[in-house]
Amino acid sequence: MTRRPAISSAIFAIGAAVVIFVPLSAAAQSSPAAKAAATTAKQATERNDSGAAAKSQKWVMPRMSDGHPDFSGYWNSLTFTPFERPAKYGNREFLTPDEIKEIFRSGLRGSYEPGAQGSEDRYGGELFNPDSVDYDATTYGLSPWQNGIKPNPRTSLVVDPPDGKVPPLTPEAKARLAAGVRPAGGFPYVVDDHHGGAVVHADNARDLGQNTSCLSQSGGPPMIPAEYNSGIFIAQNPSYILIETEQGSEFRIVPLDGGPHPSSNIHQWHGDSRGHWEGDTLVVETTNLRPDHTYRNGDPKTQKIIEYFTRTSADTIEYKFTVDDPSTWTRPWSAIIPMTASMGPLFEYDCSENNNDAVNILAGARASEKKAAEGKPISQK
Amino acid sequence: MVIAAWTLAARLENGKSNALHRCMIRPILAAEFINHTAPTPRGSKGFVRLQQVIVCFVAAVCATLAGIPAAGQTRANPGAAAEKSATPGQFPPYRAARTPDGKPDLNGIWQAFVTADVDIQDHDAQAGPHPDVMGAYGAWPGGQGIVEGGEIPYKPEALAKKKENAGKRMVVNITSDPHRHDTGDPELKCYRPGVPRANYMPFPFQIIETPHVIVMAYEYARALRTIYMDNDKTVAADPPADSWMGWSHGHFEGDTLVVDSKGFVPYSWFDRAGDYHSDALHVVERYTPVSPYHIMYEATIEDPNVFTRPWKMTFPLYRRMEKNIQLVDFNCTEFVLDFLYGQYSKKTEK
Repeated sequence: MTRRPAISSAIFAIGAAVVIFVPLSAAAQSSPAAKAAATTAKQATERNDSGAAAKSQKWVMPRMSDGHPDFSGYWNSLTFTPFERPAKYGNREFLTPDEIKEIFRSGLRGSYEPGAQGSEDRYGGELFNPDSVDYDATTYGLSPWQNGIKPNPRTSLVVDPPDGKVPPLTPEAKARLAAGVRPAGGFPYVVDDHHGGAVVHADNARDLGQNTSCLSQSGGPPMIPAEYNSGIFIAQNPSYILIETEQGSEFRIVPLDGGPHPSSNIHQWHGDSRGHWEGDTLVVETTNLRPDHTYRNGDPKTQKIIEYFTRTSADTIEYKFTVDDPSTWTRPWSAIIPMTASMGPLFEYDCSENNNDAVNILAGARASEKKAAEGKPISQK
Repeated sequence: MVIAAWTLAARLENGKSNALHRCMIRPILAAEFINHTAPTPRGSKGFVRLQQVIVCFVAAVCATLAGIPAAGQTRANPGAAAEKSATPGQFPPYRAARTPDGKPDLNGIWQAFVTADVDIQDHDAQAGPHPDVMGAYGAWPGGQGIVEGGEIPYKPEALAKKKENAGKRMVVNITSDPHRHDTGDPELKCYRPGVPRANYMPFPFQIIETPHVIVMAYEYARALRTIYMDNDKTVAADPPADSWMGWSHGHFEGDTLVVDSKGFVPYSWFDRAGDYHSDALHVVERYTPVSPYHIMYEATIEDPNVFTRPWKMTFPLYRRMEKNIQLVDFNCTEFVLDFLYGQYSKKTEK
């Protein structure tokens, strides 16, 4: 409900799919991006095979001229794995091979274009046609397998604590949230009317939350995938890494010079990120978050997000993040979200420039109020 | 030897010999040559460089024998060349530093210091909107235009539209259809500024150069451009759809980054004066490093729907030199929410 239908991106995606696939078949592999994309296309045919990860043994870590791993290119963090571990898995961190297969298949089916249901039969037991380009109306873009999604052997994205659950809030955080801190996502503006319908309560654009009002969408940190537009673009040189997230075309520029964060008087929507290398892992530490835009409404004074980027195969970055915020959670906690190589490029996501949601939802709310004042309340079913 | 040639060449900066002039650049190449440990076959780059070093040295020695005053006679103190104050619009010959993969290095945080966002043509200072409440905060600076030749070659009907734009630059009516773009300066609404306007907004932008793409990240409205380099076949040559910041392919011509952009939405403006374009806009930009601290920027604007011929704008970009310089947020959407959607908001008593 809070994500805006990305109509413009959808149109782009259709156009892009057509133009991008053609050169791929010509195998124009002049750049790592091209190679990654070609690998993606090739491995799409293997994607139903849960053991695909074992097949990348010949892979050699691509490196920049400075010797550090090269993360540049297009990635996607779309996932079918639940954020927290469902109770049925208990303390089990990994799925069985059968579970991996089943979750992946049901994920593909569940997110698949309605018209393509039953495609399993049409494509000889596959869930997709490896020779075609599919547009998925439920994700406003390429269907998940074309976004490069691969099976994830984990039972949850949260990997620490070992129970796979976000640790409890501190008493201080409970008190802070109870005191009525405005959540970054806004208060729910669609409210049950207790008569089988719902009423929109939104006095102004701020009530729609930062996502619908186009203030901040996907940039994080941490960068959490959503139902669609979970693309990530990385541009890298020895001094800086730029990370763009697709929804809202939001970006962070991460200096790698080891310099300090700015003073605590600087507050940024996506914080202030500084990177350094620990072996072949890029570590990005983010502070200076805005008081109204911390991760999960944490404490802006104490919240620190540490991200770990590690290339683990030709088409995978292991993206791990640790949330360190002692005044909000009883202990630091971490999650791993695999990013898989995806076909680029990302298209400009103009949000505020065409924010029909803000106009229509607010206009609807005013119309509802007018009707209610006339004694003829309307309920949106 | 190299240092001597360089020093003499520097003294002869204003001399008439082109060969000597080039010596300004050569020492860098000479240094590269000296660092070369591999043998230098005749006809190779290294051999040519060696020739150039020798030419420079010989020329410098000849100049010395001929007497420095003869070459630098317009100057009272020939030794003061390096201390001469800079002349606006003129830069001594310069060869840009190179990235690790050998491309001219444009990395950095850059900013224009023209007043073209107010008006790309010559203009006086003005009070700006609502001086009754804004005082001098809201006033706009005067300045010289950036349009080559001064005039923008509008078609007659397009000129009328520009004037209408200017008259309605603060008339904003946000709808849930494209009529939202009918009136009002997009800058006022915090929309992406488009190209070339993004480059002369009074905000810095950062160039991040990588082996495959060059990214331009603008502080204003978080606008972002990715420039696909060197005829990258993995990227569509033509824009798959229109966008605010366009679809850009780039390549280097010598030290100059040439960026060819099209696929623009027809809604962005060039300035607050209502200068505009259609979706046929085609911009060719040239970014030429002219010192470690400056890039000369030139954009050729072509739009047969609006202009009778292509025209150019030119201005320098300056490297931001603060030790701790970085882009900071100007996510101005936050500042225009009430302005844009106030007409749909609940009226509250004061």
